[in-house]
Amino acid sequence: MTIGPFEIGFGLGGLKVWAIWILPFIAAIIIPGVAKFSKRATGGVAVAFALASAISAATLLPLALGNHEVHNQIPWISSIGLKAGVLADPLAIIMSNVVAWISFLIFVYSTGYMKGDKDLTRFWFWMAFFVGSMQLIVLSDNFLQLFFGWEGVGLASYALVGFWYKDKKKDHVGIEGRHVLGLMDYYSPTHSGMKAFIMTKVGDIMMLAGMFLIFAFAGTFGFKELLANTSWATTMSAQHLLIPAAVLLFGGAIGKSAQFPLNEWLLEAMTGPTAVSALIHAATMVKAGVFLVARLGPLFFALAAIGINMDQFFEVVAWVGAITALLLATQGMVHPEIKKVLAYSTGSQIGYMMMALGIAGLSKQFVDGYTAGFFHLISHAMFKASLFMAAGSLLHIVGSRFMTDMGGLKKYMKKTYAFMWAAGLGLMGAPFITTGFWSKDAIFAAVYESGNTWALPIFIIAVITAMITTFYTTRMIGMVFFGNKSKHIEHLEKEGYHVHEASPSMWIPYGILAVLTIAIGVVGLTFEHQIHQIFTDYLASSFGIKSTDTNVATESQSILGGFLQGVNPIALTASLAAFAIGFALGYVFYIGRFADPVKFVNSNIFFYAIHKFFLNRWYLNALIYWAFVVAPLYMARVIYRYFENFVMEGFNLVPEKTMAGGARIMQATQTGVSQSYLYIFGVGILIVILLLLI
Amino acid sequence: MQYVLLQALFLPLLLSPVAYYLGRKAGAGATAWFSFGLLAYCTAIMIIPVLSGSYEEHYKWTQLFGEFGLLLDGLASPFAIIIYVVSTVLVLFSKPYMVARITATFEERMKSQKQLVGDGTTMIESSSLKNHVNNQIGIYYALFLVTAMGMLGTVLATNLIEFYVFFEVMLIPGFFILAFWGYEDKRRVALLFFFWTHVGAVILLLGFLAIGLNVGSFNYVDIQKHGIPPHILGFAAVAIIIGLAVKMGSFVVHIWIPHFYRAAPTPLNALSSGAMLGVGAYGFFRLLIMLMPGQYEHFALALNIWGLITMIYAGIMALTQDDIKKLLAYSSISQMGYILFGIGSMSALGLSGSEMLFVSHSLGKVLLFMMVGALILQVKTRSLTQMGGLAGKMPITAVCAMIGALTICGIPPTSGFMAEWTMFNGALQTAIQEGSMIRMVSFGLGLVATVITMSYALWTIKRVFFGKIPEHLENTKEASWYVTAPMMVLAAFTIVIGIYPDIFFNQIIPFMKGLVGT
Repeated sequence: MTIGPFEIGFGLGGLKVWAIWILPFIAAIIIPGVAKFSKRATGGVAVAFALASAISAATLLPLALGNHEVHNQIPWISSIGLKAGVLADPLAIIMSNVVAWISFLIFVYSTGYMKGDKDLTRFWFWMAFFVGSMQLIVLSDNFLQLFFGWEGVGLASYALVGFWYKDKKKDHVGIEGRHVLGLMDYYSPTHSGMKAFIMTKVGDIMMLAGMFLIFAFAGTFGFKELLANTSWATTMSAQHLLIPAAVLLFGGAIGKSAQFPLNEWLLEAMTGPTAVSALIHAATMVKAGVFLVARLGPLFFALAAIGINMDQFFEVVAWVGAITALLLATQGMVHPEIKKVLAYSTGSQIGYMMMALGIAGLSKQFVDGYTAGFFHLISHAMFKASLFMAAGSLLHIVGSRFMTDMGGLKKYMKKTYAFMWAAGLGLMGAPFITTGFWSKDAIFAAVYESGNTWALPIFIIAVITAMITTFYTTRMIGMVFFGNKSKHIEHLEKEGYHVHEASPSMWIPYGILAVLTIAIGVVGLTFEHQIHQIFTDYLASSFGIKSTDTNVATESQSILGGFLQGVNPIALTASLAAFAIGFALGYVFYIGRFADPVKFVNSNIFFYAIHKFFLNRWYLNALIYWAFVVAPLYMARVIYRYFENFVMEGFNLVPEKTMAGGARIMQATQTGVSQSYLYIFGVGILIVILLLLI
Repeated sequence: MQYVLLQALFLPLLLSPVAYYLGRKAGAGATAWFSFGLLAYCTAIMIIPVLSGSYEEHYKWTQLFGEFGLLLDGLASPFAIIIYVVSTVLVLFSKPYMVARITATFEERMKSQKQLVGDGTTMIESSSLKNHVNNQIGIYYALFLVTAMGMLGTVLATNLIEFYVFFEVMLIPGFFILAFWGYEDKRRVALLFFFWTHVGAVILLLGFLAIGLNVGSFNYVDIQKHGIPPHILGFAAVAIIIGLAVKMGSFVVHIWIPHFYRAAPTPLNALSSGAMLGVGAYGFFRLLIMLMPGQYEHFALALNIWGLITMIYAGIMALTQDDIKKLLAYSSISQMGYILFGIGSMSALGLSGSEMLFVSHSLGKVLLFMMVGALILQVKTRSLTQMGGLAGKMPITAVCAMIGALTICGIPPTSGFMAEWTMFNGALQTAIQEGSMIRMVSFGLGLVATVITMSYALWTIKRVFFGKIPEHLENTKEASWYVTAPMMVLAAFTIVIGIYPDIFFNQIIPFMKGLVGT
């Protein structure tokens, strides 16, 4: 079988690519039918289709390694000349594999996690629908089709965040009775689903506007076509519309990836089942924004060759990433709910990826930042999915979402304990043995070496964030597994409930990912070089972005001598220091328990204020609610009451009342009493006579 | 293949007495299925000629008005198909709903009579109720068929007078349906409805007469050929715009719609939202854009802005409603605003999107009104605060209503997205071509309006179907197949169009390109 670099047509290679995203949709369609026969079989069907889709994706990996691509189109909206198509280039193939395999593992996990739920059919329908949509985003060859997937994942997220639609108390997030700026910080699943959908829609309309702007000039939505003929960019740039269009497109990524200022929906999205949080709100959907930037970044960067400077766009990307990374990390330090801590962490880590992709466009060596960002995407997908699934087990066993209700669990859940350490070390970026370390280090190095004016402040933010990340991860593990048993667990045990390990169908998936985090971490640098190599070739052949410094990629690596080859010493030192400080602080407070964190916070008005500020989410959420929900609704009611029901209603009432009034006057004259008629007749005659006399 | 359109148009009118007679003699089921079969047949024979492109029939009429023509072209066929599909589907939905409604009105009357006469009427009640229902449902279906015929006639007309006649014909049965079986102050609202729409129609007629008498012919073709004398152009255009805007319920002249929707029985709501209001949009295409292209260019920006204001204003009003029928009334106004926005876009894609939005909105809104019907039948309330958590009790209704809501929001893979992206894209293209800042801002605000639409649509769904179920709704059951089966058909239809829009775009886009260029 030979697959050329530009295969057009419906060959076997093309068919495989279509299968990746169509198979999950087929699963979604047949699942309601399967449920008629056996509800429990729905899970099996979904897992089988996810596996088939994943295998299909895996068969494409050799193409990525060889820097080939499959581009395959069929007619779609022929009246406008639009085609549907798939584009499997190295970027899409790698992403597609990450999505496919992680979703397969999470599907397996879900069969255990969702056991006994009444609405399994709905759950599996949306899970399969989600994976199909996500693969559609990854494999689309044009904006419009990508947008189908884009909204599809949003829809699935809406349906799954609000999965427990009866809004029972245990499914809420937030602390009941806690108010921030007069608004309750406590949300029901259906409210959260809606919030997620509408907030991301705000990003989506920006993305649509950006898409349309480009379409208006280029006349096409296709990525390949946009690259083949860049005259549209020249025209747009001359009219000062190119940067706005690019930033608008990035708006879609901001919404989907929960970046500042549209970050607030992600925290409430934790009302969904934990399998959903792991799949959608950690490993895949929220990465769609990063993927979009990775799709478009090289396209915009390559415009430099025809003299168009896109620095402003990349600056926006880098800064949004940096701000989000810090903003959400600080909030992750103080929250008591385990899933929310992980959600803050997710947003913050995605901020890192955006930062790396933004910096890539600002540096001469585009591929460094690009690789760093994408490598971090992969490693984060693994360890965060693992952490979420482990957290799901904890929730399942303990029956509470608060870490304060856990504590001292390491004796009872040894496997979960071990895996959470492994994945947690990945998140912290524990030196030399975790993927997280290498990917984060690559980002630091890319930022530091970029030579951009903003490099230093962004670098400092990145290092501080890394320190905070280590701290809150240690805190999480410490609060859950160390110390004494909480009152909640003691209460459970008194009732005869034994805290135990999760079932194998649950721990095996997150075990695999946790082990992978370490296993790939050990050979992390080689792995990174491999990705670096793929992307160097890919960017050079597809976009003409040449790498100026080739020794990193080509120099052979002996195990020891080349170990630190291509690692920036300053970035490395900063990374090690951040880990050391964060871990030490976390250890003191939560693992060693040498000091009581509550007392520490309350000891000092300054710490207290900062703690409160972080716990209240920098007041951003409350402000957004005031500005975009409470105030507009109040205004709407005022308008309805005084304008619509008074002024507008007048259009009905005035003719009605005048006619009714007129009729009443006419009616009054028709008395039927002869005397009054005679009287009026007489008066009339008198008037006529008087008129005649004058 | 002769007389096809004539059949499709007049069979419902000619056979409406049969519907009445069947209802009286054989009961609600018989007349419902008869009407269903009749409309399904008419829909089918109408779709066949559409497949082979444009199709027309001409008949002699009076000397004074010109000829009686029926035309199905790229503009008319989507409207015609949707009008009849929606009517056909609603025939089935009407059966359980109207039987319940007629029974309820009967009981209301009995109760008031009892207060006057005292007890003793129970003996005859059961038999007389059955007769009453059969009799009334016969009348209902007869009126329903005439409404459907009136709407189709307006769309197929090739002559101003013909247009006007059918335009009025569709109102009168609506007036009676509302006055007989409406809610609350139904008589007053029926008059209100008649007053507003009639005033609109008369203004329209003034415009028609001015054109026809000056050109010397009422036929569209002749008017296009000879052109309208410039001295009445402005007057005619304004008259037509106002007349049609009243029909579409654009901002300022929208106030009759919430009242009408509040009081009308639900099938009439669905019919009017799904088809009747859209006829106003059709009028804009046929009468303004095609007959007076110069005036259209002159007014396009104003129409665009007018549509924008309507969509935002009505969307905000929808957020404040508790009565679900009123909420959907404002939603319909807002969606008509979208269509007007698209009409003002002055580009082929924008106009195509606008017409597609009519198709999409019909499907989505009829779905939502069927949901309201199902709720009124099963839950017996229209107040959103009294509902909640019904998804578990009425799963099919919930899923279909959700699809309807997503269609209104324009989320892929529903038809709403296909309509909205083409429409907004067209608006932006014009903005760029003209370099017009106003159009650019209007485009941006239009996109913002979709967020408002999404807010009220999702919020409504949440308040009806999600959350804790109130105690008095614990025993709610799923609606009957008469309601759910049509809903499933429409839901499937909107998704099919959303994925493969060429079903309609193949007709619409070439036509619009011919109309305004690319």
